[in-house]
Amino acid sequence: MSAALVATGLGKRYRRRWALRECSLEIPEGRVAALVGPNGAGKTTLLHLATGLLEPTAGSVRVLGAVPGKDPALLPKFGFVAQDVPLYRNFTVADMLAFGRGMNARWDDALARERLDRLGIPLDDRVGHLSGGQRAQVALALALAKRPQMLLLDEPLASLDPLARRDFLRVLMEGVAEDGATAVLSSHLISDLERVCDYLILLSSARTQVAGDIEQLLSVHRVLTGPRRDVDRIAGVVEVVQESHTERQTTLLVRTDGPILDPAWEVHEVGLEDLVLAYLGQPSASALPEPRLAPIRKEVSR
Amino acid sequence: MIWVAWRQHRLQLLTGALLLMLTGAFLLATGPGIFSAFRNTGLAHCLALRTSDCGDLADAFLNRYGSLQFVVALFLVLPALGGLFWGAPLIAREVEQGTHGLAWTQGVTRGRWFGAKLALLGASAAAGAAILTWGLSWWSRPLVAAGDQRFTPGIFDIRGIVPIAYALFAVALGVAAGALIRRTVAAMAVAFAGFGAVRLAVDLWLRRHYMAPRVISSTFFGPSPRSGSGDWVLSTKTVDAAGRLLGAGRGIDLNLVAPRCPALQPGSGQFPGKDVILGCLQRVGARVVSVYQPGNRYWAFQWIETGIFVLLAAGLIAVSFWWVRRRVS
Repeated sequence: MSAALVATGLGKRYRRRWALRECSLEIPEGRVAALVGPNGAGKTTLLHLATGLLEPTAGSVRVLGAVPGKDPALLPKFGFVAQDVPLYRNFTVADMLAFGRGMNARWDDALARERLDRLGIPLDDRVGHLSGGQRAQVALALALAKRPQMLLLDEPLASLDPLARRDFLRVLMEGVAEDGATAVLSSHLISDLERVCDYLILLSSARTQVAGDIEQLLSVHRVLTGPRRDVDRIAGVVEVVQESHTERQTTLLVRTDGPILDPAWEVHEVGLEDLVLAYLGQPSASALPEPRLAPIRKEVSR
Repeated sequence: MIWVAWRQHRLQLLTGALLLMLTGAFLLATGPGIFSAFRNTGLAHCLALRTSDCGDLADAFLNRYGSLQFVVALFLVLPALGGLFWGAPLIAREVEQGTHGLAWTQGVTRGRWFGAKLALLGASAAAGAAILTWGLSWWSRPLVAAGDQRFTPGIFDIRGIVPIAYALFAVALGVAAGALIRRTVAAMAVAFAGFGAVRLAVDLWLRRHYMAPRVISSTFFGPSPRSGSGDWVLSTKTVDAAGRLLGAGRGIDLNLVAPRCPALQPGSGQFPGKDVILGCLQRVGARVVSVYQPGNRYWAFQWIETGIFVLLAAGLIAVSFWWVRRRVS
């Protein structure tokens, strides 16, 4: 299985401040990846680097094997929906479709029309008059009409109400399933994406903190509870991600490399949201695919 | 692609077309009256003879229609408006609204996207300026002939071919300002100021140096030897036979003349008579020295200035192009 997106030591600096730093990750093809992190963690920067809207200050990123912004052949292969779904507000929906037709050699107009029709979005309405959910759907329809191999969506659900979120994700998953595309969705809330994503990237303070298959991540993390005590080595535990104590009880969220057999601990499975929160609360902890990420090559970026 | 550019900028383009039509209507409404007055007063005939002095006829004609010259100011500003409303938003508004992120992630490259938009607006600006200038050159012919002003700054700038180059330059300046500043309103202000500054610098300082000017010396008495020749007179002074200054322009400064003519010595308490002054001027050999660009260089100057502004426009477009492709948001 090859990677749809590979970042190697990727960094972007604005004057003095690094918006993203030493970010290395791989998103395998065909996955729906959640890019999660608090505000300002570099999610938008990472996505913009992947679309070629930004150029990296350090390291490199490859999308579908090409360097974004350098290789024009990549442009038709990915769809991008930016934060706040910018569209031409004085265009009608039909105009937006014509825009897509004019700007893309590969364009599935019938698909987009059919999708918008099914959602009850009239083609002759002006984009500026649509609701937030409808605008997001138009933007998604534009991105999907390219029949992309890769979809990059920046905070696509942020401004949508729960019903619109459900509709948006349904259309997205249909589109992804149809083309077997890889998708990356960013959000600051994992709960938004939990139902649809099978891959997790956790960014915090401009670095990659966690990256991996969600099922696998859940399978190697456990919550341990037991009578209050100081924690020292526990067989099977690689790292204690989070520890909390009450007067009588100690709770640990740990990453494991084997079964926990110590009878002093009660072992529970962990939920994705708790896992994410635990890591976000502990910026020094990390769970990254082991050295499989090849040694960071210095690539000359020009 | 072109459709996309048209859809995006059609409001600006249609407004420009409307402005053009209104101007055309104005020219058509007033032009025939000017032409018939030009003929009926005998001014056209007089000027055609080239030997007679048509000064009075011309003055009367210009008095009647000179008020229409206000349109000259309008036409000086029109290309700048093109830069403001067509050029500045081309990139800046996209960046402001975030839609460049949409446009730049479609199937076509940024270069082609930019090229299509620029081609549409640049060609429209050039075509609009050409039509306008053609109409205006026709409309203003009697006025320009009466005033012998074809080459004069302000008139030179609204006729011939230079306005087309100004329009292209204005649009290019707007585009470049928009690309670098990324704020539509700020880019408009910069483009307007920049256009004005460059045009003024060329008008007041640069244009006169396109070719080495000629100097002509003529007697102080009698009509100017260059009237009706369409020359652009850069400076005129009145000097005596030895070249000493007697006065600026075609006139004398009594304080400068008096030391050379005892009859003019002040102190007598009364202004010296006309005969005394004329006699004095004849004695010192007063003559008028003019520095000028001959009228037959008019088209050479038009082409040189057109070249300059087209080159400036091309440079600005190159910068914008580079900026769009390399500098990213």
